[in-house]
Amino acid sequence: MRIVLDRERCEGHGLCEEAAPDLMHLDDDGELVLDREEVSDDDPAAAARANGAVRVCPVAALRIA
Amino acid sequence: MTDSTPPVSDIDLFDDAVTVDPWPTYAALRELAPVVYLPANDTYVLTRYEGIRNALLDWETFSSVNAIGFNPMVNEALTGTSLASDPPVHTQLRATLTENLSPRALRGLKATIDTKADALVEQLVNKGSFEAMDALARALPLEVVADLIGFTGDARDNMLRWGQAAMQVIGPMNQRTAENFPIAGELYGWCSNVTAEDLQPGSVGRGIFDAEARGDIPPHTAGHIIHQYLGAGVDSTIASIGNIIALFAAHPDQLALVREDPSLVPAAFNEVLRYWPPLHVWGRRATKDVEVEGLRIPAEAHVGILFGAGNHDPRHYDDPEAFLVERNPVDHLAFGYGPHGCAGQGLARLEAHAVIDALARRVERLVVGPEVRIPTNITRSIEQLPVLEVVPA
Ligand code: HEM
Ligand code: SF4
Repeated sequence: MRIVLDRERCEGHGLCEEAAPDLMHLDDDGELVLDREEVSDDDPAAAARANGAVRVCPVAALRIA
Repeated sequence: MTDSTPPVSDIDLFDDAVTVDPWPTYAALRELAPVVYLPANDTYVLTRYEGIRNALLDWETFSSVNAIGFNPMVNEALTGTSLASDPPVHTQLRATLTENLSPRALRGLKATIDTKADALVEQLVNKGSFEAMDALARALPLEVVADLIGFTGDARDNMLRWGQAAMQVIGPMNQRTAENFPIAGELYGWCSNVTAEDLQPGSVGRGIFDAEARGDIPPHTAGHIIHQYLGAGVDSTIASIGNIIALFAAHPDQLALVREDPSLVPAAFNEVLRYWPPLHVWGRRATKDVEVEGLRIPAEAHVGILFGAGNHDPRHYDDPEAFLVERNPVDHLAFGYGPHGCAGQGLARLEAHAVIDALARRVERLVVGPEVRIPTNITRSIEQLPVLEVVPA
């Protein structure tokens, strides 16, 4: 699975980072950086965190492709 | 062929008794069907979590244009605001609106808000008994938003009335709406006439005017942005802080959990918002015939989003009537979701987290008298909450 960010929509709420700190983080300017876009289906824990990040984004700026 | 016509109910969402205690009504509508038509309000209400969340995301089917309010006058008055626009217009308006509300923009405010909240709570703990709505729930957001916008003098005193009125008039043309239109009009008038010099140098409000002067945002938008901060950001935040105090007073075991583990503060606020969302109902309009879980809403129909019904849907949350800070319901509906998802949620979180944090550090238990509620159209807020005794930490 791949994590896709709609940068136009992202407002830096950072809730996704709390859900998946190993996959993404807000940089010093408050811009979201995807540290890992590809998540292997063999890593169900990471996949669950990725889905959690998508779920928690309040403006629906993240999706799974 | 199955019948796809939604059931009809004679419930009136704005009946005094329903607005004061909507929970039995929410439950009845939710168990009746995912979509119910209410002739009294001429609206198709969405009653279950999934239907609400999907509708909030699907702006092409559930439009905000001419739709947010329950009377034509308010929908006309809101025309051209981000609240009442759809993409692509909305996308642009929202960008200017959020520029100063994004967590990054608010970073500098955190320390100030924490200090204010802590000082207020400390003073009240020492006092021992007080009316919590005025002394805390109203005091903090009024001060924070006044500072944010750079208010001085007059306008500061009016913020509470204006903020309440801006929400009341979203309701149907009942007496509450009629009485509040002139007050909402005062707010609109003030925002149309305010100039940079009226606002404190260095404030966010002043910054918005500077941006207008530089041409970074279109002419005449600064006043509108300030209007939205006041209209959308005061009454709802006050309600949420009142709810924090009342819910922790009623559930001392849950306060104890936060006291033991302060990292639960954000989760606790999520649960407060899930449990008692500050907004009762909000509108959309169907742009075409659409089926929600097999029930048909006709094109052009008004649609009502019942945040509280969705937040207590047992199909989505286990044991929804229990108030549990460890639940951390990050996907609650109280801030809406998707393109219109609350633009001020970062600020609301700063204020609420500061209050919860200060309470958890300074208070072991709050003894409260009965809360007073009065009928209101949209914001569900406690009116008075007597704190009779504080057991300090
Ligand atoms: C606990 C407090 C708050 C609650 C429960 C709340 C709730 C909401 C909800 C449900 C919406 C979505 C409306 C829709 O879908 O049409 C919304 C939008 C909005 N809120 Fe809040 N809000 C709160 C605090 C604030 C604050 C503090 C501000 C600003 C200072 C603010 C500014 C806005 C604005 C400007 C919008 C419109 C966004 C858009 O149309 O894109 N809100 N709020
Ligand atoms: S939660 Fe959404 S808006 Fe916030 S940083 Fe993550 S992607 Fe961006």
